[in-house]
Amino acid sequence: MSDFSEELIKSTTEDDQGERCELSGTGMHFPWLQKHIETVATGGKKEKDFAQTTSACLSFIQEALLKHQWQQAAEYMHSYLQVLEDSDSCKRQAAPEIIWKLGSEILYYHPKSNVEAFNAFADRMKNIGVMNYLKISLQHALYLLHHGMLEDANRNLSQAETWRYGEKSSSQEVLINLIQAYKGLLQYYAWSKKKMELSQLDKDDYAYNTASQNMLDHSWKTSVNLGALIQIPGVWDPFVKSYVEMLEFYGDQDGAREVLTNYAYDEKFPSNPNAHIYLYNFLKREKAPREKLISVLKILYQIVPSHKLMLEFHRLLRKSEKEEHHKLGLEVLFAVLDFAGCTKNITAWKYLAKYLRQTLMGSHLAWVQEEWSSRKNWWPGFHFSYFWAKSDWKEDKALACEKALVAGVLSGKGCRYFRYISKQDHQVFRKKIKRMKKLVKKYSIINPGL
Amino acid sequence: MDFPGSLRPTVFMTGPLGLSDVPDMSFMCSWRDALTLPESLPQNSENGVPHVAKGLLWEPETPGPLPLLPPGPDPWHPGLTAQDLLFRGGHPFQKQPRVVLDVTEQLSRFLWDHGDIAFAPLGKLMLENFKLEGARSRSKKTTVVSVKRLLQDLDGHQPWGCPWAYLSYRQRRFSILGGPILGKSVANLLGDLLHEELVMRWEQLLLDDAFTGGALAWVPGKTPRVGQLVYPAGSTLDKLYFQEVSLTPGGNPQVLRDPGHIQLRGPVRQVVTRTVQGESLLAVRSDYHCALWKVSRQGRPAPLQVLQVEKGATGISLSPHLPGELAVCSRSGAICLWTPQDGLRRVYKDPDTLVFRDPSPWRWADFTAHPRVLTVGDRTGVKIVDTQGPPGCGLLLFRGGAEASCQKGERVLLTQYLGEGSPESLHSTLHLICTQFSLYLVDERLPLVPMLKWNHGLPSAPLLARLLPPPGPGCPRPLLLGGQDGQLQLLHITGEEASTPRLAGPPQSLPSRNDSLSAFPVLEPKSQWRLQERLKAPTIGLAAAIPPSTSTPILSLFQLSAAGDVFHQCLRLQADPGPDSCAPTVSWSPQATACCSQWLKALLEVPPAPPVWAAPTFSHRRLLGCVEQREVEGKVPEGLRAAMAEGRLLQQRDLGSLPTAEPPPAPEPGPDDELSKRLEAAWEGQAAAWWERRQGRSSGPRQQPKRHKRRTQLSSTFSSLSGRLELSDVTSPPPSPDPEARPRPPGTPPSQELAQEHWARGVPSERQQTLRDYMAKLPLREDALEDASAPPSQTSSIRATRSRQRTLQDNTAKPPLQRDTPEGAFVPSSQTSSIQATPSRQQTPVLSGSQRIRKKPRMGF
Repeated sequence: MSDFSEELIKSTTEDDQGERCELSGTGMHFPWLQKHIETVATGGKKEKDFAQTTSACLSFIQEALLKHQWQQAAEYMHSYLQVLEDSDSCKRQAAPEIIWKLGSEILYYHPKSNVEAFNAFADRMKNIGVMNYLKISLQHALYLLHHGMLEDANRNLSQAETWRYGEKSSSQEVLINLIQAYKGLLQYYAWSKKKMELSQLDKDDYAYNTASQNMLDHSWKTSVNLGALIQIPGVWDPFVKSYVEMLEFYGDQDGAREVLTNYAYDEKFPSNPNAHIYLYNFLKREKAPREKLISVLKILYQIVPSHKLMLEFHRLLRKSEKEEHHKLGLEVLFAVLDFAGCTKNITAWKYLAKYLRQTLMGSHLAWVQEEWSSRKNWWPGFHFSYFWAKSDWKEDKALACEKALVAGVLSGKGCRYFRYISKQDHQVFRKKIKRMKKLVKKYSIINPGL
Repeated sequence: MDFPGSLRPTVFMTGPLGLSDVPDMSFMCSWRDALTLPESLPQNSENGVPHVAKGLLWEPETPGPLPLLPPGPDPWHPGLTAQDLLFRGGHPFQKQPRVVLDVTEQLSRFLWDHGDIAFAPLGKLMLENFKLEGARSRSKKTTVVSVKRLLQDLDGHQPWGCPWAYLSYRQRRFSILGGPILGKSVANLLGDLLHEELVMRWEQLLLDDAFTGGALAWVPGKTPRVGQLVYPAGSTLDKLYFQEVSLTPGGNPQVLRDPGHIQLRGPVRQVVTRTVQGESLLAVRSDYHCALWKVSRQGRPAPLQVLQVEKGATGISLSPHLPGELAVCSRSGAICLWTPQDGLRRVYKDPDTLVFRDPSPWRWADFTAHPRVLTVGDRTGVKIVDTQGPPGCGLLLFRGGAEASCQKGERVLLTQYLGEGSPESLHSTLHLICTQFSLYLVDERLPLVPMLKWNHGLPSAPLLARLLPPPGPGCPRPLLLGGQDGQLQLLHITGEEASTPRLAGPPQSLPSRNDSLSAFPVLEPKSQWRLQERLKAPTIGLAAAIPPSTSTPILSLFQLSAAGDVFHQCLRLQADPGPDSCAPTVSWSPQATACCSQWLKALLEVPPAPPVWAAPTFSHRRLLGCVEQREVEGKVPEGLRAAMAEGRLLQQRDLGSLPTAEPPPAPEPGPDDELSKRLEAAWEGQAAAWWERRQGRSSGPRQQPKRHKRRTQLSSTFSSLSGRLELSDVTSPPPSPDPEARPRPPGTPPSQELAQEHWARGVPSERQQTLRDYMAKLPLREDALEDASAPPSQTSSIRATRSRQRTLQDNTAKPPLQRDTPEGAFVPSSQTSSIQATPSRQQTPVLSGSQRIRKKPRMGF
């Protein structure tokens, strides 16, 4: 029992220790401060022999781990366990966490360890102290999950779920929610397995009914398990995805929409692009009106203008009747090509070449000029340099042609990229290059006469 | 670009650092990170998810890095340590020792060693005469001091270095009367400034962020195997060297040609290189200047631009997108973008830190996947700033707070954009953020939520990081992390575009320069110490290259130390080493040890750094005058006088060869039983002296043992003379005629018998008795008294020389600040013992010289 009360005062003593390491003024902590102090400290309380050996042992373990000497680390670990009997309560409290962290790492990588050994270690560690039960249970379950032992993992999570100690702190609550959510995920796996089986069964079969009944049961349990966690701010992609899939399967479209809308638009959540992508995909499946889809993608465009869905967004905008959408369509294309990861996206260049022509034909020169004005001082160097002309032509001639057309339209015939490509002589692309030159002559926004 | 379809579950909490109520998801192990949640079906996880190669291990070819280039010709000094700055007294009642800056000692040392600087300006500020406080009744003569005369007395010299130095009456009066005023003003003025300086030095010792980013760069050359190392060297790191290096297929680099260098006007702090669109660019940051070079295909640098940063530059980065573009950060909080088209443009300015208040002026900027968007970082967080948007706005990419479950006191030390600009790179949106505890990978598309967090546990500040290209197709990318004290960690980052970045396998530590110590031959302690210091010098640069190889991938790792040394290490990838492999132990090859000894030889030829502190000088004008008045002859006094005039240490060579008496033929000694002698000495507690003698035997003439032998022989011969001549009788009544016997430090063997021996020698034995009788009649006691009351100038002069000589020796023998350390205490004691061990040789001639002058007339009569 004394353990427990010690653990409760642990947090305050830890703070004190932090205070001591702090250098007055900056508030920064230096893990290497102690090393400096030790070189000068002559007085003060010396560390006890016990503390010295355990801290030396700890550093040996860490060193062995970083050198991948699992065997050696295990041997040191054997000796390190004595720290659990440290007379310094502060150290004794911190020990289980360190032992779990290092021990699980050794057991995970040790060539001779197996799942049984890991299980035994985890079960032992869970019950040393009370603060780590939930964390260790969760990690243990993940380990089992990774090794394909779903039932064991599920059992573990169920046990942890019902565990309580003292007054529920908020961190405990989050952990319990997390455990429940993982349990829900496991149930989802089982459910989706059943769904697969069901799809292979005949609807008139007797077995079909029992199976579908089973699935209903699962769904209900899962929704309870998953629902609580995804209210808490965080990144819950796998949970949301599986939850929505189940809701959709049972026809609860409104519930699914609510979950996704909440996940995407709640201010307390981080701006997770996936939340918007999931919502968009859901709405697409639901065959929502174009306006709705555009509004969802508009927000994704604000967050991640380089996402591959932006090309789809552009298509939607192009098809729209509104003029402002047409303008936005141009903006989106320019924005996609701003990013270093998209410079060789031939679809984007193709779209831009086509859409530029379309826009200029529709006498919206101002739109193009507006987009170009912020880019004219760096796009030539970034996209239309001589280096890229050469390398693009060598690697991807179709891409080079599309880019050359855009380059010619935007920065005129004098552009190096355009000049290089237009001088190339290639059987397949001869026609294309000729057409390109013609288009540039016709539509270039740079008026050579001026 | 594709975004990972499903991110790792994370709790998102807003709040300050060290929020205790956050379920600590960083309670993660590296294996935990290797786990991925199966996307849909568990069956896939069993066999579908590739079991990450468990032991992706880079095996070093040698136990430690080897020196690549010979050490530079300039001496190097390791600089201040904690011992120089902190108060050494312990607090007996405190559980943990506290950091207390030792201002008092520094101040007293300053006043002591540089009194001229501390006090002279005050004197100059005073009027020509000034009145000191005093009773009215006192005469003008005692209260008014002429500053002119006072300064004349001081005149560039100062007596504080030596307690025996001559103080004029004026000075004494002045110091007694003016002491309180002077002491206060000097202490007040200096104390504040000194404290400020010490705080700064101490902070710098804890974290020296000047070299953030690293000052070593690998500029790829025409072929993938050839490249250039660019690094600063020289005692002040103000020469930028360009060393061409070729990597052999075996991994060992070969130095081609002598390095070219460019002399700069300030110390180089950071060297950055990028190859953008086939153009290699090199940016260099100094304290107040930044410069940009273009490196041609032949490897010749051509200067492009030099920028002056008035407040001091803290970081420079080259754009991976546009050739020649760079971002410069200044201490004032401004971030400037330099482009060949637009020139210098300030894109951001905020003297305050981003998230919470932190006093550090350190700022950092780097590029992002968008060529017109920069990251701006300080100790508290990192922000994404659009250079084309309205000034000052932007999103926080990383917040030192609960979002990334940061610890209390955690601060950003380094941020780095991991993309390379080319669309092929998988991590074109990833940013690395290092704090003193952890490493974070953040995707700029999902700000605030780290994609990966790893507690690196480095025992020094991680200021260097390099992401390397994958060593082979499908391999994870190695990420090198370097601590300031030389520790290196290698992490494997995996993750294709559509999945989150993960650690592939457990991180690995690489050997540091300290591990190379075993490759060097064992040296005598002083040189060994020097070598250790040199190997321990902070790492200020890190570069790596993976040359294209046929079979196993090779990693060539270069590190630059603050002493300007470039070390190299070669590592081989051992993918999936099998179950029975633990890291194989490698040993030093003969080539490696030969390389080390050669380097060491060159290092020891470099003269050691001159001491930071020089012994104080004091006025010896008067003393010189006294000496000159005397008619002296002989080489010894002349040497003494010359040494005094120049104010330097009196050395053996100044005294010339000393008259040595022919030793009497000694009987053939028995077999030299060293062990028993040593034991004998040890029993008598003089093992150290014995060792000293033994050491000295090989170099100098065998003085000590010979004399000892001679003396025993003498005593034995004398005792064989049937007690007719009992010298001990003679020696006891007259005290030593040597006036110098008194100030001799305790523990000195009385030189009386030697002195007696000296005068007794050469006198025929039949006349010795007469002489003894004669001597007994002499009023030697009065003589001694007379000596004591002899002209003060003379005694003091000699005494001062002696004591000065001693202080000088003390001071040159050890740095003044280590006076209390055991090593410091050991050195002078051995030195004094060596001085004391030969008193008759060193001092008696001098003294007998002066003695002769005094004795002559007496003898004559």
